[in-house]
Amino acid sequence: MDRRHFLRVTAAAGAGLLVSGTASCATSASSGPVTQAAGTATIQSNLSAPAAKAAIDALVKAFNDKKGAQASVNTVASETFRTQLPSYLTSANPPDLFTWYPGALLKGYEEKGLLLDISDVWQTMGDYPQSFKTLSGKVFVPTTYYWWGFFYRKSNFAKWGVTPPKTWTEFVELCKTLQGKGVIPLGMGAGSDSPWTASSWFDYFNIRVNGAGFHRELLAGKQKFDDPKVKAIFTPWREVLPYTDPNGTAIGFQEATTAMLQGRTGMLLTGAFFADAAPKDAIDDIDFFRFPIIDPNVPLAEEGPTDGFFASAKSPHVKELKEFLTYAATAEGQEAYIKASSGTVLPTHPNAKDSGTPLVTKGRQHLKEAAEITQFFNRDSSDALQPTADAALVKFLQQPDQLDTILTTWQKAAEQVWSS
Amino acid sequence: MTSMTRSFTRVPPILLLFVLIPLLVEGFWVFWPAVQGFWLALTNWDGVSPPRFVGLDNYARMIDDPVFHTAVTNTAIWLVLFGGLSAVGGLGMAVLLQKERRGVGIYRAALFVPVVFSLVATSLIWQVLYQPGGIFDSSPLADPDTALHAVLVPALWRQVGYVMVLYLAGLKGIDPGLYEAATLDGATAWQKFRHITWPQLGSVNSVVLSVIVIDSLRSFDVVWSMTRGGPYHSSELLSTYMYSTAFQSLKLGYASALAVVIFVLAFGVIVTYLVRAFREN
Repeated sequence: MDRRHFLRVTAAAGAGLLVSGTASCATSASSGPVTQAAGTATIQSNLSAPAAKAAIDALVKAFNDKKGAQASVNTVASETFRTQLPSYLTSANPPDLFTWYPGALLKGYEEKGLLLDISDVWQTMGDYPQSFKTLSGKVFVPTTYYWWGFFYRKSNFAKWGVTPPKTWTEFVELCKTLQGKGVIPLGMGAGSDSPWTASSWFDYFNIRVNGAGFHRELLAGKQKFDDPKVKAIFTPWREVLPYTDPNGTAIGFQEATTAMLQGRTGMLLTGAFFADAAPKDAIDDIDFFRFPIIDPNVPLAEEGPTDGFFASAKSPHVKELKEFLTYAATAEGQEAYIKASSGTVLPTHPNAKDSGTPLVTKGRQHLKEAAEITQFFNRDSSDALQPTADAALVKFLQQPDQLDTILTTWQKAAEQVWSS
Repeated sequence: MTSMTRSFTRVPPILLLFVLIPLLVEGFWVFWPAVQGFWLALTNWDGVSPPRFVGLDNYARMIDDPVFHTAVTNTAIWLVLFGGLSAVGGLGMAVLLQKERRGVGIYRAALFVPVVFSLVATSLIWQVLYQPGGIFDSSPLADPDTALHAVLVPALWRQVGYVMVLYLAGLKGIDPGLYEAATLDGATAWQKFRHITWPQLGSVNSVVLSVIVIDSLRSFDVVWSMTRGGPYHSSELLSTYMYSTAFQSLKLGYASALAVVIFVLAFGVIVTYLVRAFREN
């Protein structure tokens, strides 16, 4: 190819790009082309961590090996995925399937007609408990979920001569004992880029004191953050603040995990996913206990965030994507996924085998005992409300005497989110 | 002369294409979205439904938005400290390292190295330095009274090296004869700086000013990766507030209005300065 020819080709390609750009809608800033081979359902995935990516790749491979419809994965960094999701869904040529979780955001998209009704996939999911069905509506297929609790190292608890508490009083006693031994009882990683972890404390105090029903109403804007009932949950929280890591708002989630694993803090309220990053030799030493009961009259609720897939209403591959969703909902599909994952997630299919470690077996039982499952602050409300919680709760951890102002400010900020 | 006119009139069409196509691409992908931003600022838009026209509501809302007030104050502090200190520091370093001595290259390179690092990497390094139990007992990033300044330090650490290079280039352009003449006249070092160096740096100054105003108003990555504007908005800048409003709260209309404010500020400061500078000339 001579220089002149090269220049002409380049110029033509540039012009072509421009024309196709003009033709498509200006708001559809899709990042990266999505290959739409005939008969292949593309999955836009935010599972970019190595273990999670390996898991979804294994699921897709198992599906493709059945020689039916085919699927392919397009992995995007989770922050990019989150900010681009509206663009994906409104673009002229969206991916067919998306990894996500049920919640307010999904409901909003459903109401705008952007999501595909996949009720017929649910026809094949008769074994699923009603709770997953209610959670998912007509547009979502749940595949995995996990649990939250106070995680600790068995060897450390043995060394300190303490046992997991059942009631709130025992819990406070445990904190006191650990502090007496020079250990910071409660880890916290609400600094740096993970202020959202403070919301787990808020969620738990609220579902333990006011119950899951009130909690959902509050997060949906039907109750107020400056309500006396909300204020009341900060009384037990204040009680354990002196036992909480004073650097809890300075360090991030990773450092807080390390502090607990190294025995500088006694325990950490966290999701089971933290074990993904824990060293292999530590995993067998990890155990957890339930967030202690505060009011025995409140039905037991636990956080059990659920993940899965939804589909775009504009997809031209409805048959293929439904075939994939049906497979992802089977025990076989979920076992393929879990086998390749780091093994701390639970399958949503009631008969699917989990990774079988004592920790996971206990986690599954832990959620089974709960009368109600909540998702997590941002999932039960919205990602837009999460920053208001971050600001309020980090401020509470630092300046607990400002509680009244904090709650009024929080309510105002939340109203701003709900009003728009 | 004839050959020159010929070469002007007969621009090969292929070259014309190479000028026009980038212009069109730039126009479509840069200017057109920028213009759209002004329109979006007058709407309520969640990124999915069609934008709803609300007039100047977004601007009215800024008046009672406490976070906006914090962000404006912090941006002003940032502009003064980040801009001022990097200009003074950069000029100081440039004057200090201007003479060719043995090993001066090492010092210049050392000061320039932070410019080469990505700001996200820089903030990771500083985050480790700020770890509680490190240099400080408790992290200055977690304290609302110090968070903004704690983020400012790494930003400055980088910017000083950049401004230094701009000034070094400017200093190289000054005729050494001027200094010789001044020495013969018995001028002190300060007098030489005041009456030769500073006036001669006039054009560099306007470049430096534009660079630091633009850089301080678009400072985002360093703040976002270190504090996300927290704790509780205490280190929020207009840029971080705009980002979280747009992509966390999905209020793209209000976020566009914030972007317009940033644009007006940057444009305003620079145009005022340039107009003054041209008048003086």
